[in-house]
Amino acid sequence: MSQSKMNRRDFLKITAVGVTALAGAQVIRRAKASEPTPASGRKWAMVIDQSLCNGCGYCVMACRAHNDISPEITWNPVLEAGQVGDKKIYLPRPCMQCSQAPCVDVCPVKASHYRPDGIVMMNYDRCIGCRYCEVACPYGARSFNWKAFTEQNPAVPEWGQPEVARRPRGVVEKCAFCYQRIDRGLTLGMTPGVDPDATPACVVVCPVGARFFGDLNDPESNVSKLLKARTSYRLRADMGTGPRVYYLSATEENA
Amino acid sequence: MKIRLKLSKLSPWLAWLIGMGVVVAAGVGAGLIVFWKGLSVTNLTDLIPWGLWITIDLSSIAVSAGAFSLCAAVYLLGLKRFQPVARTATFIGLIGYSMALLTLLMDIGRPDRFWHAVVYWNKHSLLWEVTMCVTLYLAVLALESMPIFAQFEWLKKRWPKLSGKMSHVHHYAPYLAVIGLGLSMLHQSSLGAVYGVLKARPFWYRPDVSVLFIISAVAGGMSLTVFASMLSARLTRRVSVDDSLLERVAYFIGWTLVLYLYFRFWDALSMTYTYTPGRTEGLQLLTRGPLSFNFWAGEILLGIVAPMVLLLYRPTRTSQVWRMLALLLVVGGVVAYRWDTNISGLMIVLTYLPGEPIVEYTHYFPSLIEVLSGAGVVGYGLLAFSLGVRYLRVVDHRAVEAHAEEKQLTEPATTD
Repeated sequence: MSQSKMNRRDFLKITAVGVTALAGAQVIRRAKASEPTPASGRKWAMVIDQSLCNGCGYCVMACRAHNDISPEITWNPVLEAGQVGDKKIYLPRPCMQCSQAPCVDVCPVKASHYRPDGIVMMNYDRCIGCRYCEVACPYGARSFNWKAFTEQNPAVPEWGQPEVARRPRGVVEKCAFCYQRIDRGLTLGMTPGVDPDATPACVVVCPVGARFFGDLNDPESNVSKLLKARTSYRLRADMGTGPRVYYLSATEENA
Repeated sequence: MKIRLKLSKLSPWLAWLIGMGVVVAAGVGAGLIVFWKGLSVTNLTDLIPWGLWITIDLSSIAVSAGAFSLCAAVYLLGLKRFQPVARTATFIGLIGYSMALLTLLMDIGRPDRFWHAVVYWNKHSLLWEVTMCVTLYLAVLALESMPIFAQFEWLKKRWPKLSGKMSHVHHYAPYLAVIGLGLSMLHQSSLGAVYGVLKARPFWYRPDVSVLFIISAVAGGMSLTVFASMLSARLTRRVSVDDSLLERVAYFIGWTLVLYLYFRFWDALSMTYTYTPGRTEGLQLLTRGPLSFNFWAGEILLGIVAPMVLLLYRPTRTSQVWRMLALLLVVGGVVAYRWDTNISGLMIVLTYLPGEPIVEYTHYFPSLIEVLSGAGVVGYGLLAFSLGVRYLRVVDHRAVEAHAEEKQLTEPATTD
C-alpha cells in the first residue's frame, strides 16, 4: 500500500518537473526567437505617397486581376482619409507585411508565415479556415472565402491576367506584395521596384505614381531614399507590429 | 440484448427521445447544408468571423470542467467519497468535448483539414495549444469513461471480457486525473487567452481573461454536474443520489463564485479608469449598451451574485429546489459570459487610419442555419446524457458500493 503511494507521489513529482522544464525551454526559445535576425538578403517595403493618390482605385482592379480575387473581396482597398484644404485624401491599404505580425503568431497551423524577405505569406493548402488571423489583424487586411469563386473574374482581362491560383472556399486570403511577380522577376535578373514586371501590380498600374516599392536593406533603393528624404508614418505603429508599408502624408504644401 | 421500448403509450421518456431526435435531425440537416454550401449560409462576416458556434464551443468546454476538477478532487486530493459525482462529471465532460469538436468542425472553413493542427505545429498559437489539449483531453476522457461504458448491460453480456478490461481502466484513474488536470488547466485558461493576447482588440487585450475563463469554467462545470445529477434523480427512480455529497459540491461552487466575482470586479473596475479607444467602448457595450441585460442580469446578478448567496446560505443550499435553481443560474451565467466576451470584442472595430483611433460598431445575429445546427449539437448532448443516465447509470451514487467491492478485490494485487 505504502509502496503504491510512493509511486504516485513520485509520478506527480516527475510530472511537475517535466512540465516546468518544458515551459522553461519554451520561454528560452521564445526569447531567442525574438532576437533580431541578422540582415540577410532583402526586405521588401512599399511607400505610398498620399499627396499624389487621387483615389482612382486602379490599384484595386489591377490587384483583383493579377491575383484572381473575387469581386466580393478586396485585398487592397482605397479608403477616404479626410481632407487637406479642399482636397480629399485617400489611404490605400494593402497588407502591411508586419515584421511582428499578429496573424503569424496566432495561426494554429503555420499557414501564415514569414518569408525570408519579410513577406507575410499564406499557405493556402494548409489553412484550415479558423479565422483567428482575421480576428487578430489590426488592419482588416484578411478576407475569408465565404463562398467558392467560380465565376469569371470581371477584372480580367481589362486589368491584367491572373498570375496565381484561385483560393478555394473556406480559407483566408490576403495581399502578399505580388510575391509571384517579385520571384519571377528576380529569376529573370530584374529589380523589383524598378522593372515593372518584377513589381507589385498596384505599384505598376498607379497612374499618378503614388506607390513605390523596393528593398529596405538596399540603401540605394527608391524606398530607402524616399524614407530618408521625407517624413513617413506607418499605420498603428504604436502597436509594435512593424508594418513594412510606409505612408508619406499629404500636407497643405504638397497636396 | 434488446432495448425494449413500450410503444403502447407515449411515456415522457419516449416523448423526450423523439423530441431530442427531431432537434438532432434538424441539426444534422443544417450541418449538411453548412458542409455543402460553406459558411456563406451563416451571418458571419469578415468583421465578425466568430459567432454563435464559437459560443457553443467555449460554453460546452467550460461546463465540462467539472470532469477535471472533480477527478482531481477525488484522485489527487483524496476526497474519495466524491467519486460517484466525478463519474457523472467525466461522462458530461466526454459529451461536452465531443460537442465542442462537432461545432468546431462546422465552424472551420476547411473541415477536411481539421487534423492540420496536430501535424503542423505553431507553438506560438494559443489556438494550436487549445486544439492539442482538447484532442488529448478527449482521449483522456474517453479512457476515464471506459469503466462507465463497461457498465452497459448489453456489453457485459455480449462481450464480458471486453467489459472487464474496460472496467480495469479504472485503476489508472489517478494518472488520468493528473494528465486531465494538466491539460485542462492549460486549455481552459488558454481559451480565455485566445482572446486575451489580441492587441488589435483592446477590450480583450488584458492578462486576466484566462484566469476568469478557468474560474468560471470550474464553477459552471461543477454546477452542471450537480444540476444534472439532481434533475436525473427527480425524473427517474432508477437514479439514486447521495444528496449530502451534492450539497457539499454546491457549497464549494458557492465559494468558487466568490472568487470569480472578486476577479470580475477588479477586472471591470480597472477598465473604467481613463479612456482607452476600443476598451472603454467594449465595457460600455456591457454596462449600458446592447449587451447590458446579458451582462447585469445574465452574468452578474443572476449568474454570480444570486447563486453565490443561494449556495452559501445554508437553508437555500439544503433546499433542493433553490439549489437546483442556483446551479442552473451559474451555468446560464457562464454561457452568457462566453457569448458576451466573444461578441463584445468583435462588435467594436478600431480604425487604423492615422490620428486617434476611431471606434466603429458592427452587428451580428446568427442565421437560422447556425441556430439549427447549434441546437442540434446541444440536442445531441442532452440526448447522450439522458441515454447515459438510463443505460450506463452515469448518475448513480449506489455505484460506490460496487466500486468499493472491486477495490477490495484488487487491493492485494497492488500491494505485493
